[in-house]
Amino acid sequence: MRGFNVLLQKEFKEAWRSWKFLWIPLVFALLGMSDPLTNYYMMDILNAVGNVPEGFEMLMPELMPVDLLQASIGQFQTIGLLVMMATFVGVISKERASGMATLLYVRPISFGAYFMSKFIVMSTVSFVSIFAGFAASVYYTSILYGTLEIGSLLVSFCTYYIWLLFVIAVTLMMSASFKTIIATTCAFTVIFVGQIVDMIVGLFWTISPWKLANYGTLLVRGTMEMSDYWWSLTITIALTILCICIGIIMMKRNAAMAKI
Amino acid sequence: MGIYHSIYKYIRIDCVLYSGEKAVMTTILQVTGLTKQFAEHKAVDDVHFILEEKTSTALIGPNGAGKTTTLSMLTGLLKPTAGSVKMLNGDLRTNIGFLPQYPQFYPWLSALEFTEMAARLNGVTAKNAKLEAQKTLEFVGLGNAQHKKIATFSGGMKQRLGISQAIVHKPKLLLLDEPVSALDPVGRREVLDLLKGLQQETTILYSTHILNDAEEMTDQLLFLQNGKLVEQGTLREVRQRFDEQNYVVEFSNEQEAKLFASSSEQVIGCYVYIEIVNEEPTMKELLQRLSGCPYTIRKVERQTASLEEIFMKVAKKA
Repeated sequence: MRGFNVLLQKEFKEAWRSWKFLWIPLVFALLGMSDPLTNYYMMDILNAVGNVPEGFEMLMPELMPVDLLQASIGQFQTIGLLVMMATFVGVISKERASGMATLLYVRPISFGAYFMSKFIVMSTVSFVSIFAGFAASVYYTSILYGTLEIGSLLVSFCTYYIWLLFVIAVTLMMSASFKTIIATTCAFTVIFVGQIVDMIVGLFWTISPWKLANYGTLLVRGTMEMSDYWWSLTITIALTILCICIGIIMMKRNAAMAKI
Repeated sequence: MGIYHSIYKYIRIDCVLYSGEKAVMTTILQVTGLTKQFAEHKAVDDVHFILEEKTSTALIGPNGAGKTTTLSMLTGLLKPTAGSVKMLNGDLRTNIGFLPQYPQFYPWLSALEFTEMAARLNGVTAKNAKLEAQKTLEFVGLGNAQHKKIATFSGGMKQRLGISQAIVHKPKLLLLDEPVSALDPVGRREVLDLLKGLQQETTILYSTHILNDAEEMTDQLLFLQNGKLVEQGTLREVRQRFDEQNYVVEFSNEQEAKLFASSSEQVIGCYVYIEIVNEEPTMKELLQRLSGCPYTIRKVERQTASLEEIFMKVAKKA
């Protein structure tokens, strides 16, 4: 892991100076607060927008705090992931294509150190982002609907974070393996098509990384079958490590693609 | 007096050329049978050469000759299909500095931050890295701009920064890919002067297709064409092999030139061209002949072909 500290500092500096530590958490905070607020003020919003026929009545379901947490996680799973993956998918391939990586690759650094420095910084940005998202969601939920039990909330947060680490590992692996366009296509296919497949035919299996986000809310509800949870968690962590290993190998193998 | 002054000037240049060659040389890099094949195309084909310590070597060739591919293999970026690159006194990756043709930097870093990072990645301790980076930036003339973001730098400044990141860790071997080809004449001159300063400190291998640069700061020439090393040697050796040299004697008129010239010597206008074959006639012989000459001699010159002319001959031969 030669050069790890220096590369880590460089990556943190980049994330800080490109405002990633500000705008990505802001996006997640907005996503987190949108469901509790829109659901609570739905009637007011509809009245304010107008065009509601006279005598119109709408039966609003009685939402529990955990329903709103689930809705917020649903937002993170679509727009949140889209933003995060689009931001991070070029971190290796673009540096290689522009030639910025050349001046690093010719130095006696380890590719493992370079890959891990990127992974750690992306994980930190993701941590801050989902923390902001969860905090905003829980804050408005507890004000408007009622409180959530802190222990299960923390477990749900950690479970979602582990899913995000898997997403980051897949994104980085693709970035290390292919040019940006192909990497984007492949990463989005794996994550989003995986989600769609799991949504459509996922009833036939209970162990999968793509189920982890949903399992987080089931934990809060207290309806989780724990063996499925632990197996899914273990497989997700194992796949994350595998993606990291493949990513490092591909980064080294594709170093020759760096523009001179 | 004027004639002798002219003649002695050329004799003196020759002596400097001879004595300028270093007596004891230590080989620093050995390249053996270096080959790179891309599908059907052989970009570099069985290239052999050695680099001596603290010498400057120009890798010359037209576009597509294989210069950048060769440098890529030397830096370790590209794996050779066959052959080897051996640094004789240590590990190659820790002892090289590399400047690509179009160096790209992180625009959000300052020049000092980037150079410091480069130093630390090459093993300079955190304590010394900043100091070394500052010294190097001063050396390349970026002392006043060290805290500026690289995004604000001009092309010339980026090239200087490129040199600074390549030399900050004091590498034994400096590899430069077309270091001045993207610069305007002023920037080119500045960078060339910088590189000349570095010649005393380290071994330099640089690729170029601007032959004037090679002529200016080169101990050894490597001519690449279609991936093959078609000619190599010191500038003097290559000149001797490919150069048609002449003494040119200028008389006050054509008639005197014709009267002076022997049947084998060419006369064009008031100039007599005396061909030098295997260093014959020597300057001494010519001086003796000229001292007995009753005509007005305006100028005597030893005419050598430019590197560009030699390059064209090498290319033609290959």
